[in-house]
Amino acid sequence: MTRYKRVSGDAIEYEVFARKTRGEPLHQVGSVVAPDDDLAVAYARATYDEERWCEMAIVRKEHVIELWQPGET
Amino acid sequence: MSLSDLILSLADNKQMLGLRYAEWATRAPSLEADIAAAAMGLDDLGHSRVLYGCLEPLGADPRGLDRESDAASLHALTYFDEPWSEWAQFVAANAILDTAFTAMIEACVGGSVEVLQHRLRKMLMEERYHFLHGRSWLKSGISQEPLNRAWVEAIEWFGPPDGDVATLHREGKLSMGPDELHSRLEEQLATRSPSMTIDWKSWDPIRRRSRPGAIDERTFSMLRGLEEKKFAPSSAAAKEN
Repeated sequence: MTRYKRVSGDAIEYEVFARKTRGEPLHQVGSVVAPDDDLAVAYARATYDEERWCEMAIVRKEHVIELWQPGET
Repeated sequence: MSLSDLILSLADNKQMLGLRYAEWATRAPSLEADIAAAAMGLDDLGHSRVLYGCLEPLGADPRGLDRESDAASLHALTYFDEPWSEWAQFVAANAILDTAFTAMIEACVGGSVEVLQHRLRKMLMEERYHFLHGRSWLKSGISQEPLNRAWVEAIEWFGPPDGDVATLHREGKLSMGPDELHSRLEEQLATRSPSMTIDWKSWDPIRRRSRPGAIDERTFSMLRGLEEKKFAPSSAAAKEN
């Protein structure tokens, strides 16, 4: 996940996760910026729906708890 | 009016909604909104193709030859006659008209007509994202004028209390009549519609609208492929002739 913020004001950054088969883990496919969860869902689906995902989920970036960052180990 | 007429109106409106959405694919307030406008446009254009494809199995295709020459022969709402000049018009159409069309699709899927039950179901899944998009932008606050207009046109489109939609509901072909569709729309948007008085005497039951008029000439030309021909090389044009 990138460390820079591309949002300001009330906008919230969301990370988008997806997988193509049940056997593979969810992995990050991108991010969207939106003022609320509803719009973030609509944006994630519009932006990343070109592949045949069997599952897609979004998470507010601020809710991701980082254990360490590159260069910190 | 028959069920075919209603499905044709739904198809024409979905086609115009898709085109108007797509016109905002580079003009929306953010990159994400641009992409959503393009994606929703593609969805609704796809839905219109499915709906046109239902006309033959329904047994009667009401489309006449005048659709090639007369823009007023299309059964789309006044709201789509001209390209939208303001984002608020986009949001009002997205939140209210798109949701009204979805309510009618729900009524078709819940009704007794097999071809509609099967072919329209997938649309409801895609429309969920249109609804979330419209509802969220609606919360951000937009001017009242396009909202009022969209509400009036949505209620008009459902038809009069004793009209064709009410009849189709009584016959079981639709799971909701005009009153139920109105309530469903209010329930979805968690708001009451503005007070309005509709003069059903001036309502056109085929086009499901009260005002005359038609889509703009450029859009009509584009629908018929005439705009595309303007960009064709002259030699190719000569070969065609």
